[in-house]
Amino acid sequence: MHLDDPQTAQEPLPRAGEGQIFLGTAGAPPLGEGAEQLLHVYRLNELELSDLGLDELLDELLDRTREILNADTVAILLLDDERHELVARAAKGLEEEVRRGVRVPLGGGFAGRIAAERTPIYIAEVARADIVNPILREKGLRSMLGVPLIVEGRAIGVLHVGTLAHREFTNEDAALLQLVAARAAPAIERARVAEAFEREHLGAVALQRSLLPEGTPAVAGVEIATQYLPARDLVGGDWYDVIELPRGRVGIAIGDVAGHGVQAAALMGQLRTGLRAYALEGHAPGETLKRVDRLMHTIRGQGMATAAYAVVEPESGALRYASAGHLPPLLVTASGGARLLDVQPAPPLGTLPYGMYVDVETELQPGDTIVLYTDGLIERRTEAITAGLERLREAADISTSAFVLCQHLVERLVEEGAGQDDVAIVALRSLPLGPKMRVRLPASPNVLAHVRRLLRRWLHAHGATPAEVASLTLAAGEACANAVEHAYAPRPATFELEASHSDGLVTVIVRDGGRWREPRGEHRGRGLSMIAAVVDEVDVRTSDAGTEVVMRKRLGV
Amino acid sequence: MPLADLEFEVTDRVVIAHVDGEIDMSNAHELENAFSLRMTNDALGLVVDLRKVDYLDSAGIHLLYALRERLDNRGQQLRLVVGTEAAISEALRIADVTRTVGAFETIDAARQSITS
Repeated sequence: MHLDDPQTAQEPLPRAGEGQIFLGTAGAPPLGEGAEQLLHVYRLNELELSDLGLDELLDELLDRTREILNADTVAILLLDDERHELVARAAKGLEEEVRRGVRVPLGGGFAGRIAAERTPIYIAEVARADIVNPILREKGLRSMLGVPLIVEGRAIGVLHVGTLAHREFTNEDAALLQLVAARAAPAIERARVAEAFEREHLGAVALQRSLLPEGTPAVAGVEIATQYLPARDLVGGDWYDVIELPRGRVGIAIGDVAGHGVQAAALMGQLRTGLRAYALEGHAPGETLKRVDRLMHTIRGQGMATAAYAVVEPESGALRYASAGHLPPLLVTASGGARLLDVQPAPPLGTLPYGMYVDVETELQPGDTIVLYTDGLIERRTEAITAGLERLREAADISTSAFVLCQHLVERLVEEGAGQDDVAIVALRSLPLGPKMRVRLPASPNVLAHVRRLLRRWLHAHGATPAEVASLTLAAGEACANAVEHAYAPRPATFELEASHSDGLVTVIVRDGGRWREPRGEHRGRGLSMIAAVVDEVDVRTSDAGTEVVMRKRLGV
Repeated sequence: MPLADLEFEVTDRVVIAHVDGEIDMSNAHELENAFSLRMTNDALGLVVDLRKVDYLDSAGIHLLYALRERLDNRGQQLRLVVGTEAAISEALRIADVTRTVGAFETIDAARQSITS
């Protein structure tokens, strides 16, 4: 038999304090009647213990220790390195110790001295000993034996047993308990490290989740899809955002904070909020990034982040974007070809004072998709980034919805068993437009702006001038407002807008399930006259099925 | 995202309301309430700046007439500021708001027509 820590085991120990008897463990304890107990100890197989989580491991260990030493109580206290205290972590017969979260200062009392001096201590009579923890007395413990848990010469905690009756713990008892401690300590340390890691990881994942948007807003004329794949082991600082802006415009943002873990996730949350706030103030993409950069310089312990921000005006297809050292946006055209968009080179956020971020302007045609993404999508350890970008361009060579495109890119580019880095994607597709547009919407005042935006976008694509767009939008808006106003409860009502174009003549039809009625009141009966004044021809057809308002206007007159 | 943003300032006892966005039946009523709440008893009148309004339909027209009536009853005046090429000028013209309420091209001209 040997003991893992010869120092503790063999040095004769000094007496200290009345009622305490220090046990030396020099010399091999006789086997004899202890042989069966030793067998138990050897069954504390490290391999067997290594598969357990910390709680299960400690539970198992306490049961076996109590059995081996034939004790009434057994407890494990683990060292809190930061506070230099031992914390009761698991106990049998002394459960209150754990429940109350008993803490013993390193060097103080029974357990504190065992850990500080890395030595076993035997207390023959608790009543007469220097005890910090009141629970030991409350429980009526008479005799106690404790040993340090030692890993690589460092005490990580204390294992102690106690009896309600007076007991003379023998040298063999002490040796046995030390043997248990020596076997258990490395397994405890491993489980503790794994648990701490898991806790940090889960905390960071939860934090990151809470900092990313929940769902995407419905914006007229575009389809927006997002994808976020957390890294398997380390939490990254990737983020994305979709920001509804005034007048039907929409902003999409992506970013990547350098580093991993809770700090990266927390910084990501600050940057996302900052970017959103500046975007909502109406700043252009480059100006927005500039302000986020300045904000970042004021954050204590700031790091570095790349980001890209793009603003789309669905009605005209105008696209404006800027990048702060981020990978170039990808444009997937309506016909299916894909290319990387030019970016004005600029430093990542938080790196240089006076970073400037310049806007690039282009247009998104109906059916085109712009994709912002983080490097987790394309980077592989062994290859240059240009190869990754080329693979992205090839993989994106399909004409499909933004949602399917996101799925497709992940399937094609994120390797099985990858997950070293997190992946964020946000894709915005300008919806394809045909010669005819037909939409059915719930009869609610809140959808009126949405339907006007769809119509403006469709008219713009069909070559209507701004004045023609304004007239037809006003006429259709009046007809839709009427449909909404006369949608009666209780049945959920909808209305329909249909727009078609042939040979320069635009026809807009609004259908509902009610009857046309001019609103009451002196100044309110002007919806129909308003329509008549701005289009060439208006026809209100009423049937039992409902009302149909047909409006026609010739373009380019 | 609110359909229209609203900001106020007060100059020479005239309240000036800058509207930025669109006005339809979904927000006309709350805008009217917001205007009324800002009209203190000592205010001479209200200038509604519509230069950044790019949609206004009969619900907005109704709002303007109702607002004029409410202010009239309190002895306060209403003026509008409308851009020359505004998308909404056609609606205002059709409903005769431009003539009956009084539309100006600048804030100063609208305010002075109240104070002078």
